[in-house]
Amino acid sequence: MEALEMYTVDDRSDVYTEELKLNLGPQHPSTHGVLRVELSMDGEIITASRCDIGYLHRCAEKIGENVTYLQYTPYTDRMDYLASMNNNLAWSLTVEKLLGVEAPERAQWLRMICAELNRIASHLIAFGTYGIDIGANTPFFYAFRERESIMALLERPSGARMLYNYIQPGGLRRDVDENWVTDVLAFCDDFEKRWAEYNTLLSNNRIFIGRTANIGVIPQDVVYACGATGPVMRGSGIKWDLRRDVPYLKPYEEVDFDVPVGEGTHGTLGDCWDRYWVRMREMMESIRIIRQGCAALPGGEVMEKVMKKMYKTPLTPEAGEAYMRCENPRGELGFYVVAEGGTSPIRCRARAPSFCNLSLLDSLLPGTMIADAVAIIGSLDIVLGEVDR
Amino acid sequence: METLIDFFTGTLGLGPTLALSLAYATAIGSLLGFITVYAMFAIWMERKVAAHIQQRFGPMEVGGWHGWAQSPADALKLMFKEDIIPSGANKVLFWIAPAIVFCGVLAGFIAIPFAAGVQIVDIDLGVFFIIAIASIEVIGVIMAGWSSNSKYSLFGAVREAAQVVSYELPSATALLAPILVVGSFKLGDFNTYQAEHGWIIFSNPFMWIALLVYFIASLAGCKRAPFDLPEAESELVSGFHTEYSGMRFSFFGLEEFVSMLLVSAITCTLFLGGYTLPFNFLDVANLAAPFHLLGVAVLIVKIFAVIFVQMWLRWTLPRMRVDQVMTMGYKYLLPWALFAVAGTAVWHVWMEG
Repeated sequence: MEALEMYTVDDRSDVYTEELKLNLGPQHPSTHGVLRVELSMDGEIITASRCDIGYLHRCAEKIGENVTYLQYTPYTDRMDYLASMNNNLAWSLTVEKLLGVEAPERAQWLRMICAELNRIASHLIAFGTYGIDIGANTPFFYAFRERESIMALLERPSGARMLYNYIQPGGLRRDVDENWVTDVLAFCDDFEKRWAEYNTLLSNNRIFIGRTANIGVIPQDVVYACGATGPVMRGSGIKWDLRRDVPYLKPYEEVDFDVPVGEGTHGTLGDCWDRYWVRMREMMESIRIIRQGCAALPGGEVMEKVMKKMYKTPLTPEAGEAYMRCENPRGELGFYVVAEGGTSPIRCRARAPSFCNLSLLDSLLPGTMIADAVAIIGSLDIVLGEVDR
Repeated sequence: METLIDFFTGTLGLGPTLALSLAYATAIGSLLGFITVYAMFAIWMERKVAAHIQQRFGPMEVGGWHGWAQSPADALKLMFKEDIIPSGANKVLFWIAPAIVFCGVLAGFIAIPFAAGVQIVDIDLGVFFIIAIASIEVIGVIMAGWSSNSKYSLFGAVREAAQVVSYELPSATALLAPILVVGSFKLGDFNTYQAEHGWIIFSNPFMWIALLVYFIASLAGCKRAPFDLPEAESELVSGFHTEYSGMRFSFFGLEEFVSMLLVSAITCTLFLGGYTLPFNFLDVANLAAPFHLLGVAVLIVKIFAVIFVQMWLRWTLPRMRVDQVMTMGYKYLLPWALFAVAGTAVWHVWMEG
């Protein structure tokens, strides 16, 4: 590692040194939950690291095999609890594929708007907590201010602030109220101004760039090898987004948006700053999508009629299997379901983006300093609820 | 000081030794009282400044008006909290570390002139004394970090040692520039000079560099952001005071605010006119008693202006990495400080010459 050579002193024959084992987590301010990383330290420099996960394991997949299809939707909320809408969406699409039904047009557009709003909220948390990781406390509060507006918007149709259980197999639980679209558009106008503030405060700060540029560089082959997706992959310059390349909702084919990728603006391609900047720009792309979605929102039902009837008894899909993947804020979330005719699946599996992204960590840490380790963990933007499930 | 001694010998008719002891006890007691009140106010102010920068209100409930009683309430709470000593800690070092940290900074105040005559001792090497005595704090921090028997504490202590020792070079060098102008280490002389010739910061253009270098270096000396590496909440949990609780913990917090007061007092005295007003308005230094106490108010206002900038920076800037801190100190601040000293010397020889 180049960084290791940069920091290490060669001749230590006259000094007695000892390797220091440092336990980063599971209770640590910046492991974003209950991640434990066992670090071998040479002074401030990390020589080896080993990730230890599983502190938040709640048998989410096994539960899926013991509850009905509809009952499982709230459990998906609790996987990536910062992007519940997107999780609901992935699960609903999987069940719909299994049943061979499709949500009505209005539901599809509303799904897209809600999922993009939730993506912004999730990226705002990533932005705010990354500021705290680097030592700037103020961006967090700025981010929470805008996130609060999003939560208020999503609360109106769903009744919940974080764990929505709103997008359901067959459509949406209920329709939005009549002023909702206007308020969403007002939020979009407001957010664009706020976004510029974030960049003044944090993105373009010299100290922030110094802390994140050239740190935690992920080469493209490592991205492919570890199956990393989402902003982690796009930060390394790979232009791949399911919304653009494999549109899982019809509206995504009709709206116009860009896929931001890392460009190595302040250093090497694929460093922490690139991943951070991809997230920041994705928020603005989401705003673009929401604007177009609000303009083109059609009328009609939000729940498939067939499904409405089916909801009176537990869903019983015929034997078969289905896999659907969605572009979540943290990467590709996939659900794999095998049905054998009963009211619950016999196998329910989630492919969690945070889990795959976290597998990069052990290869990134050696040779960096402890402060860099915090920056790298923050730039991967993991949610332990999803890693451990 | 002389006034106090006169009061005890003359008015009360006490013997000289007793009068001297009583005078010093009174002076140090009122200094401690002032510092306690200041620290509570500064903590409340920090919370308010942070809150308003972060679109919040901060404490609003305790005591009624804008939560003014939050700090006394917190202090009371901390006093009643259990003092936990981790198993495997070196008890003696663990106990005395907060005291050493606090005493080192506190001792610096005996040389600070708050107003004409309001100064405990005008030491001949006042500036030198303050720099020296305030560095004792590092020993306390290392003791705290080492005795805690925690790896995070140790990291914090080693960072503190490296950082504070490195940043003493630029800060002490930068202070040489005003010393060159006045030609004395005595803090009282700085006030008399500035009453006569105007603020030192305006004496030559190089002084601005010296002020900036000293301000940045003093931030590092106080462990304030962006140099809060020894504490580094997101990296080292709380650095060297991770294992402390209750009153001992609060001493470390107090020490941070008191050292902010100390460096701000030095900044104001050496660069920003001390207790004199701009253009020597009212001639505060030579006012008749008791109006000379106006100087205390002037100095405190200036000190709080500097402290506000320190707080403002803390809640705006991210934290630097340990190697960047060292680079900053040795590659940028130290050369600039030397440049400012050399520039000042040349300027004054050339102008007065």
